[in-house]
This record gives sequence, C-alpha cells and structure tokens, in this order.
Amino acid sequence: MDDQQRWRLELKNSNVEVRARAAESLCLAGSESVVAAVDLVVACGDVEDVQNWAAAALEDLGAPPMESVDSLETLVNSPFPLVGYWAATLLGRLGQSANRSQVVLGEAVSDSPHLSIRERAAWALGKVGATEDSAVESLKKAAASDSPRLASLAARALA
Amino acid sequence: MFWLIIALLTGGGISGLLNPDWPVVGPLVSAVKTKAVEYKNQTSPAFDDSGVSGGQANPTAYAGTPVQSASALGPNDKILIATFNIQVFGESKLRKPDAMAVIVEVIRKFDVIAIQEVRAKADDILPRLIAELNADGSRYDFIIGPRLGRSVSKEQYAFVYDTNRIELDTASVGTIGDPGDLLHRAPYIARFRPRTTDPDRAFTFWLVNTHTDPDEVPEEVDALAQVFQVMQTARPDEDDVILLGDLNASEKELGNIKKIPGIQWVVGGGVMTNTRQNKAYDNIIFCAPATQEFTGRWNVLNFEEEFNLSREQALRVSDHFPVWAEFDIWESTNAVH
Repeated sequence: MDDQQRWRLELKNSNVEVRARAAESLCLAGSESVVAAVDLVVACGDVEDVQNWAAAALEDLGAPPMESVDSLETLVNSPFPLVGYWAATLLGRLGQSANRSQVVLGEAVSDSPHLSIRERAAWALGKVGATEDSAVESLKKAAASDSPRLASLAARALA
Repeated sequence: MFWLIIALLTGGGISGLLNPDWPVVGPLVSAVKTKAVEYKNQTSPAFDDSGVSGGQANPTAYAGTPVQSASALGPNDKILIATFNIQVFGESKLRKPDAMAVIVEVIRKFDVIAIQEVRAKADDILPRLIAELNADGSRYDFIIGPRLGRSVSKEQYAFVYDTNRIELDTASVGTIGDPGDLLHRAPYIARFRPRTTDPDRAFTFWLVNTHTDPDEVPEEVDALAQVFQVMQTARPDEDDVILLGDLNASEKELGNIKKIPGIQWVVGGGVMTNTRQNKAYDNIIFCAPATQEFTGRWNVLNFEEEFNLSREQALRVSDHFPVWAEFDIWESTNAVH
C-alpha cells in the first residue's frame, strides 16, 4: 500500500488525530494527492483540524481524475456546505470534460440553500459549459439575483 | 486612543477592524474617494507610540540573542518588509515545535511582515506566536483582520511588526470594502512607518495584504489593480502603497496590475517563491516613481536551505517561502506622482 492509499484510509479512521494527520499529509504531498480528491472533499465535512488541511489540499490539487465525476456530483448536494462547495469547484476545474455534470450544477445554482455553493456552481457551469435547457434556465434566474457575485458569475457563464 | 484601548483589551493586537469610511473597490469607488478626502484634515496621524520611546531604531536591541535580527540583513537606515503565507497557520502548526522554531526565526529577520492563511476558530493563534517571538526580549506586536472567505472555511490576514523598529498608524487599519464581492478575501490594509529620530521625515507607507482565490486568479488580480489605485488616493498625504501577499499569479499573470503607470514588482525572472520551487505566486508590488524608498534589494528567503531542512521538514513549515524587500527609513523627496 502506498502513502496515498494509507492516508486515504486514515481519513476514515475513528480517531480524529489520525484523520487530521492524514489530511495534513495529503496536503503536504501536493498534486500527488489528486488520487484522493473525493476523499478530501468528503473530509471537508469533518472537524476543524481535518477540514482546514483538506481544504488547503484541495486549493492546490488542480483538476481531479475523470472517474471522480459521479462521486463529486453526489457530493454537490452534501448537507455540509464546504463539501458541496469543493465538489462544485472540482467539477468546474475539469472544464468541458465535465459537461455532463451541468444538470447537477444547474440544480445547485437554483436550489442549494447555501449561497457559497450556488455561486461556485454558477462558476463551475461557466467552466463546463451550459447547453442543457435546465442549466441555462438556472443561470438566467441567477443572473437576475440580488447577490451581485452570483448574478455576475451567472451572466459570465451565459456569455 | 480608541484603538490603543482595543489593543490593550486584546492583548496587544487589534482584531478585525472594519472602518465604515474605508476605501472600497468596485462600483462605489468614486463615492468613497469623496469620503477619503476627510483624511486631508487629519493633522496628526495616530501612530502607535506604545512600544519603545522615540529615537533611532536601535539594532543593538537584538544583541546577545542567537537569532539573526532584521538589521543583519541590511543597514540600520533601512527596513525589511516581507510577506509570508504560513499555510494553514493554526492550532496544529502551533503544536509543532520544529516548524514554529523556523517560523519564529524567519519572522525575526524582518521589521514588518504580512501574513496570510491564519486558519483557526480560536483567537489565540497570533498572541501565542507573539509570545514565542518575544521570548528572547524582542518586542513584536501584531494586528489581525476579520475571518474572511465565501465558504465556511475562513482565513485571516495579519501583520506582525517589530515595535523597536516600526510604528503602526492605529487610525489607518482595516479591510478593503468590497460590496461587489470581487475578492474572495478582501485585502487587509494598514499604514506604518519606521521608528526614527525625526518622525516627520520618516517613510510612511500602506501595506495591502492579499491572498487570491486560486480558482479565480485573473478576475481577482484585476480587482487588486483597482484596490491598488484606490489606495493610491485614499489619503492625500500618502503616496506609498505596497501590495504584497500570495497572488497565485506569477509576474506574467498580473493582468491589469501591469497597466498601472510605474508599477514594479520584485519577484520575476524565473525566481520561484514556493517550497517546491515550481511557482512564483508571492510578490511585493509598488509604484516605482512614488516609492523611491525601495533600495533595489529583495529576495526570497529559502528557509529549507537557510536552516538545512529536508523538503518534508520545510513543507511542514509552509508551502510558501517569504519574500522580502528593503526600503529606506526616510521619505524620499524625489517621488513623482
């Protein structure tokens, strides 16, 4: 078992210190931890020590593997806002390769209770491309939002 | 006096000031410029003299300590301004004595340092850092901004400065207003000057502490160009604006910042600023015709080599190296506006 696999398993350990160390190790490993992209997104729903390192790891991770798309689509709707935020971000980083995720992202733009996720989903739609009617409609509504940032991101995604 | 009281209540640091009259970036810029004119009538900047009594900065204050003081990197009539992203600076890093020893020694090399990525729900992170810094008799102090970020994961900016060498203008501390939400973490700004025998002639300057969102770099860099220009006119008596931090952009990716007349950045030409030595994301940026106090000296402090660390040990300190630049302690009389 290589380090990445071991740290991914340790992210699921019942001991919070083990999980925090694993998240830190994955962060320190930089882009090599891209194989743990989904695990790190899930870890964003953990306690502060784990969450901080997981979020820091994700910032520098780059685009996730294509095989993580299905899991990320599910995680966009996580009850933990930071999980949904990062799931949408990673889908956006995939660009047009994740074009099939546009319906899920469009639903997040319209329905997520968290503004940070709605904004990130609009940003991601701008990256993956919005061609499906439902995604375009979500962006049009968001472009008329009172939130200046959401409106601006949606308008940019539609352009 | 108000900020002094706040400082005393918070153990020396000023926490999270948000000044309603502060300059903003975005659509309200022109309106706030009008407000900024109010600063013109401010006859006496409220520099914090609560540190040592007035007089020439005294580099011998560091004598007898095993650490290299700021003065060791440059002449006594100069100051060193630095930026340092201390990746995920919070409880877990404070619990690592080896990493903290390096962080403390690094900070002690500089007179004022802009810190990014304080990440903690607790409020005692900077006070504990300051306690370690001052354990050798140093007299560092700090100011820290509010928790910022669009998600539930927040970061704070901070400035740490050597009160033996630097004075803070306690009336000029705050976070840039960003009503259009152009920046993930709106810059934290403060005005400083070196402690000298002749305060009226001392080099005064704004520091604009920034950390961009890595997923929206081009947009945020352009917004920072606006921030820079807003700060250039924020006070009629202040022409020196120094933007510094983790821009997540090399000098080739500075967008509209490059279009500001006279703009200069220190890091360029293939010099890397991260620990893995493959990115040049940290920089110090100012307007050269206005800030003629820059001596031309700058560098990236490679603490991996400086302290003979392994790559893994260095990464446990941070994934960024500090960047520093040297400035004269006296206000230039030749500045071009």
